[in-house]
Formats: sequence, structure tokens, C-alpha cells
Amino acid sequence: MKRLVATTTLAVILLLTPFLGECAFKLPAPEKIVMKNGITLLYLKNADYPLISFRMLVRGAGSAFESNELEGIAGLTAELMQKGTAKMDAEAIAEAVDFMGARFDISAGSESASVVAESLSEHFPRLMEIAADCLLNPSFKEDEFTKDRSKRIDNIKAIKDNPGSAVRPYFTKAYFSTHPMGHLASGTESSLKKMTAAAVKDFYKKYYRPERAIAAVVGNIEKAKLVEILESTLGKWNNPRPAAPLSTLPAFPKPKGKKLVLIDKPDATQAYWVLGAPGYPLGDKITPQADVMNTLFGGRFTSWLSTELRIKRGLTYGAGSNFQTWSIDGLFIANSYTKNDKIGEMLDIALDLLKKARTEGFSAEELESSRNYLLGQFPQRLETNSSKAGTYTTLAFYNLGFDYYDKYLAKVQAVAAAEAKDAAVRLLPETDFVLVIVGKAADIKKQLEKYGTWTEKKITDPDF
Amino acid sequence: MRKKFFILVLIALIGTALLPAAFRKEDIKVHKLDNGLKILLYEDHNIPQVALYTFFRVGSRNERPGITGVSHFIEHMMFNGTKKFGPGEFDRKMEFSGGANNAFTGDDMTGYTDWFPPAALEATIAMEADRMQGLIFEPKVLESERGVVASERRMGVENNNDSILSENVRATAIMAHPYHWDVIGWMSDILSWKRDEIMAYYRTFYSPNNAILIVVGDFERAKALDLIKKYYSGIPAGPPPPAVTTVEPPQMGPKQVFIRKEAQTPSFNMVYHAPNCQSPDFYPLSILDMVLLNGESSRLYKRLVRGEQLALNVYGGIGETIDPMLFEIYVKPRPGVDLNRLESVIEEELGKVKKEGITEKEYQKAQNMIRSGFYFGLQSNAGKASQLGSTEVLYGSFEKLFKQMDNYAAVKREQVQEAAKKYLTENNKTVGKLIPQGGVQ
Repeated sequence: MKRLVATTTLAVILLLTPFLGECAFKLPAPEKIVMKNGITLLYLKNADYPLISFRMLVRGAGSAFESNELEGIAGLTAELMQKGTAKMDAEAIAEAVDFMGARFDISAGSESASVVAESLSEHFPRLMEIAADCLLNPSFKEDEFTKDRSKRIDNIKAIKDNPGSAVRPYFTKAYFSTHPMGHLASGTESSLKKMTAAAVKDFYKKYYRPERAIAAVVGNIEKAKLVEILESTLGKWNNPRPAAPLSTLPAFPKPKGKKLVLIDKPDATQAYWVLGAPGYPLGDKITPQADVMNTLFGGRFTSWLSTELRIKRGLTYGAGSNFQTWSIDGLFIANSYTKNDKIGEMLDIALDLLKKARTEGFSAEELESSRNYLLGQFPQRLETNSSKAGTYTTLAFYNLGFDYYDKYLAKVQAVAAAEAKDAAVRLLPETDFVLVIVGKAADIKKQLEKYGTWTEKKITDPDF
Repeated sequence: MRKKFFILVLIALIGTALLPAAFRKEDIKVHKLDNGLKILLYEDHNIPQVALYTFFRVGSRNERPGITGVSHFIEHMMFNGTKKFGPGEFDRKMEFSGGANNAFTGDDMTGYTDWFPPAALEATIAMEADRMQGLIFEPKVLESERGVVASERRMGVENNNDSILSENVRATAIMAHPYHWDVIGWMSDILSWKRDEIMAYYRTFYSPNNAILIVVGDFERAKALDLIKKYYSGIPAGPPPPAVTTVEPPQMGPKQVFIRKEAQTPSFNMVYHAPNCQSPDFYPLSILDMVLLNGESSRLYKRLVRGEQLALNVYGGIGETIDPMLFEIYVKPRPGVDLNRLESVIEEELGKVKKEGITEKEYQKAQNMIRSGFYFGLQSNAGKASQLGSTEVLYGSFEKLFKQMDNYAAVKREQVQEAAKKYLTENNKTVGKLIPQGGVQ
């Protein structure tokens, strides 16, 4: 037990020694292979399991590159690429993938589209044939388009029936408004109505291009065999014309003062909130300090938010905060929920904690705990083929280098209390933030008046 | 014929080539302490991390009316103070040493899951051993945690229409057996459990002879075993917990539940009484579950989501349970859909299986899905620990884990049809419908 007591220097040294050893745990550098058509392929062999994971990111094929008018078209395009090619219809694709017990998905993020394909080693050649067919020759048939669009419109209603899932898209809209990062992958009722199969085809043609793709394969396969499989599948992906350069995303909006939005859901017995403020871009040099700080503020079970809202007062089952990061900027997000009559009390505490972190900062013991936690939990992030392949594509996508995490962990290890406080001062909001609540307005409105003027919407109003 | 041959070759390949050389039954080292604690150890030095899982043979199945949800509440209280470690100290110490943890409660078991750097092994073992019998249930802390669980129920059930419906359907289908209520428990019970009732329940079920300790990952076996002995040997065995004796009587006619509630989308459930996981019928029903409900090529997905476009999604199937529970079909209907029509379409599909069985291709597909899912799940320390522990609780021995794939492979295609005929019958059925009131449809 003594080893866990951190009040003496000796104890600190004893405790830290094993972690220094663990930092030797590195992400193995992948082998970089450039395919004939220019796709960068990152490869690592792992013979421990008869499994192979393929991951790919296609820059630009995400929702931030859509027009505001056609918000959600990136998500719809990604889905429809799996719903028929020149050779196979939607049923045949689903049948073939399920038959192998494989996992295959194309989905749209904000800055890229993501392809995941993994299976038992024996099935990998066939799985890549299907994945490449979907990527290269999607047919975008009118009936599949109509089907998927109408499902998406109805799905928005299902999201709104659950306040916990509805609060996030409402927040994204409130924060970003018409900025392209505010595009929802699900689309909205209005934008989905404006879409056409032709527009989907255009989006595909414009944004799915091999020279913007980064792929990774981790698993039980030899390099020569892998190259042979990929050259005969993904290798056929060529674009005749050079692409127009991707548009540059405009700077993120910075809230001035409080923007408060209340969504009335009259049957809700709990009020769900999300608070957001400016963060920092992915790979920014503040990352280690921000992570050490946020681990303490709202990033783990014993964090301040969780301790004050859940552990001490029993107000909620869950409370936390995190940073979301993209290439040009990011967000700080905090969220929780509580029964209707406690929402005012809960928000007061959360806002006080933000203030406390900025003004008082964190103790040396807290810092040590946070550093240990980040270092100790790190290896799990790279445990499976899939998580390694995903990490490779992300590091390559953001041009961070495969030693990024080695450097990151070394820096985490050195973050001091003063730096964590600086990160809190810079990143935790005081007066400028966006706060969105989904709850029963009649029960909670009075408690919310003191924070300022709220924009009100009904959950049954179309869009977010 | 050619296709069939191809399929059989695939199965053979998968069957022989699969289990990673290092994760075999023989590689799991088993020990039992004098107090009855069963220990499973598996070394894997892939990453510098250890997964230490403790399973107790207790879940909502062991509860009674008035104290429903108490198994889950004790799971929460396990983080809230012993004589040695004050409330919250378990988490603070574990996170300080670079570890993280979670816990879960099910119908049949309660699991405590710790992931930490190798250096924290002794500290973690010491704290886990301490809380096996050392909880103090400090009244103020207990009241605060009651609020947390009430919030969890509000989030998980009251503000989620699909969950409200499934809770109602389960309670209608299962009349006598304690599977009648959900793991979270009824709100009025959550708000009124008494401290002495909670403590008596804890003393009954938290004993070394009612637990399994699993350690997977980067540690040395001999050292770990010494530490486990050091901290656990002094914990006395308890009397064997009372057996669950209630047997659900056969259902003798279809049941229906209607819920009218503010919503934009309906919810729909259809469930049938089904056997427990140790029944031979469990395996054919699991294959049926794949064919009907798993993946976009499944029969119900194709018909309801893609074909007639009555639903946004379908899911469900049969779960592994100690006592007989349910084969469940959950549907998220699209707004405005006629739920009677939805029901008759599902009936039609089930009728086809009962009449014609499943195709050879469907049978092979289900086998492949089950196999690949099984091996995907064993890739991590956490996955291995979780499979070992739950198999031990559900099947009486972790060794069954290494036989599971053979058990599925041994099912004959015709048995799937027979199982469908036996269980998916009109008299065995309960249907639930949540009909939106107000709002926009």
C-alpha cells in the first residue's frame, strides 16, 4: 500500500520507475508501401491471430466539404457505396460480407471518409475485392437512393425520441451554425429532402480519389501477398483528371458571451446538457498539457466533474469532459444530465468547477495521478490489429509521424502543475461558451433564467 | 454443388487454423484456494498491461420483489468504501497507479473489471480482496449512490422508449421467475432499499466460494498466485448461497402489451420463451438468431428494413442465461407504421422458417459469423478475461469456452427448423407495442 502514497519524494520515485519502463512500449513503425496508383499503404504483420484488419481514410470525403444546402450528403454517399456496384447489388454485397462473418463499413467523418474491412485471414482476398468494388464502381441506383434517404429522414425522429442522443446534434448546430464543421453526418430533414441521386454521384466523383487515400493493413499476411491482393483490387483505382484542390475550412467560430439554447421535450424526466468552447487542433503542442488537465477535470471516473456531480452528490450517472480535435481547430466539451428539479444546482457546480480549475489549478499529487493514468492506460489503445491500423491512418492523415506517441508520452510524463493550470486558463471557458439543454421546459425553465436569455425550440420542430 | 464444396472447404479451414497457438485450454492455469476461490491465470506479454476480472455468481436472478435492482446497487457500492479504504479511494488509488476499472451487473452475474500496468498488480489484488467482504455501506454515501442509480434508470429506461417497452414485455412474458424484472430494478425499489437488506444480500453472495478471479496479461504466474494467496487466503468461505428454485410455468396463450406514450416513433418487441444456455436447443436457436436478425443479409432485416421498409432496424436473438429466458425480436418501426401489419410480416417470416427451415448457405453463413465473432472477441486481454469468466459462471467451467465452436459446428441444419417449430409458437409469444401519442408522427 505504501507504494500508492504519494506524499513523499521517495514514494514518487518508486512509483514512477515502472512507468518509465513502460514508456518503452512503442507503436511499432509500419512499413510504408506506395502502390502503383499512389495510395500510401502502411503495413504491419501480426501472426498472433488469423485475422487481418484494413483501414483507409479518404481526405475530403467527409461532411465538412459538403455544401450547406446538401448537409449529410457525405454520409449518404458513404452508405450508398455499399448498396450496389456495377457487378453486385446491395443484397449480394450484404450476403457476401455476412457469409464471411466479416466487418465492412464505409462512413463519413468531418474531414474524411473512413473504410473499415476486417476478417479472418482466409477471407481477406475476397473481402478486399468487394471493398474495392464498392469504392471504385458504386452504381448509386435511384431506388437505393430513395430508400436510404427516406430511412435517414425517419431516423432523425428516432434520435429525437431519446434526449440523450438528441442533445449532441442540437449542440453541434448551436455551436457551428452554418460553419461546415456543423454539418451533421445524419443530415437534417430539410437537407435530405433536397438531395438527389445525381448530387450523390457528383459528391463521389469529386471527393473519392486514390491520391487522397491513406490505407493501413495489420494482421496475419505476408507483404508480397498483401501487395498482390491490393494491386489487383484497390490498385485499379485511378482518376483520369487531376483533382481541384480541396477547399480550406474557414476558421472555427468563437463564441462571444453565452449562447444558450433550450430544446423542449415535454416527456423528459431528466435534463441533458452539453457545454462547448474553443479547443485546439489535433497534434497541437498543448495536447499533453491539455490531456493531463482534462483527465483531472472531466476525463476519468475520479475527475472533478464526476466526483462533484456523481460521487459526492448522486446527481447523475455520468458527467465528463473531453477535447475534440480536427486539423485546423477543436472544441472543449463538457456534458451531463440530472433529474429536472436539479438542473440549476448541477450547472452551478459545473460552472464553479470550471472557474476553480482556472483560478486554483491542480495539486502536485493530482498531476502525478493524471500522468500515471494517461501512461498506464495508453498501451490498451494499441492492443488490436484494428486499433493499430486505425492509429497508422490517423497519424499519416494528420502528418504527425509514427513516433508521435513516443514524443507525446515523454511530454505527458513531464507536465507540471503550473502547465496544467495554464492549459485550464487557456482552454476552460469562463464567460464565452455555448450551452444546450434538452429537457422538459415547464419544469426547468425557472432554474435556467439566471444564466441569461435562452433560445427555445421544440423537439418536434424539424431539423436541429 | 460447386458452391457447397467451396463452403465446406472454408469451414474446414476456419475450424483447424483458428485458435491462436497461445490461447488454448492447457495454457490457462487453474487454482482453487481452500476458501473456494477459483483462479484462472493466463500470461500474455503483448502489451504492458494486466486485466484482472472478478466475477460473482449473483445477478438480478437472485433478487426478490422489494429488493429488485439490489445486485446492481451493490456493484455501485463496491466503489464506495471499506474499513481500509474510504469511499472513492478504490478508484483514486487505482487511477493513481495508472489503472482504470469498470463493473457490470447482469441477470446472472456481476463482474469487476480492472486494467492496469504490471507494477500495480499487488495494489489491485489487495484492494479487490479487501472489498470482497469489507464494504461498510456508510449511510450518507449509500443515499448519494441511490441517487446515481435512480439517474441511471431515468437515462436507461424512462427516457428511452425502446427500453420502457422491453421492460414491460419482459415482465409480461416472464411471470414467476426473477427474470421478470430488469437488472436496474423498479424505481420504487431503488428509492426504498434498506441498508440492512442491502448488507444481508452482500454477505450472502460476496464470498470467495461464490467468485472467480481471472488474471490475463503481462504478469508472472507464480508471483501473481503468491499475491492472490497472500490477500485472499484469509477471507472465510461463506455458506453456499440459496439456489433459485422458481421455475417459469409454461405459457399457455399469446400475450400482448400496449404502451401509449409521447413519441415520434413507435417501438415494437416480439419475444418467445427460450431455453437456457446449457440446453442442447441453445445452439440451433443461436444459429436461427444469426439467420433471422444478424447483418443486412438476415431475413428480417431484408424484409422489414429493405423490402417493405417498415422498420429502421431489427436486432435481438437469444442470450446466454443460466435459467430459460427469451428469444427476442426487437424492431424500431418507422413513424406511422401499422404495428399489426409489422407483426403479421414477422409471423410470416417465422412461418417460413418453421415450414421450410433454413438454406444450406444460411447455415454456413451463421457458422462463419459465430466463429469470426468469437475470435474477434478474443484479441484483447479484456476479451479473453471476459469470455473465461462468463463461461465459468454460465456453463460451470471455463473449459467449455474451448468447446463452444465444436458445439455450434455439431448442430445439424434440420435442428434449426425443429427448434423454430418448438419455441416460436403462438402460445409461447408475447408482443409489445409502443404507440406514439401526441408529438408529430
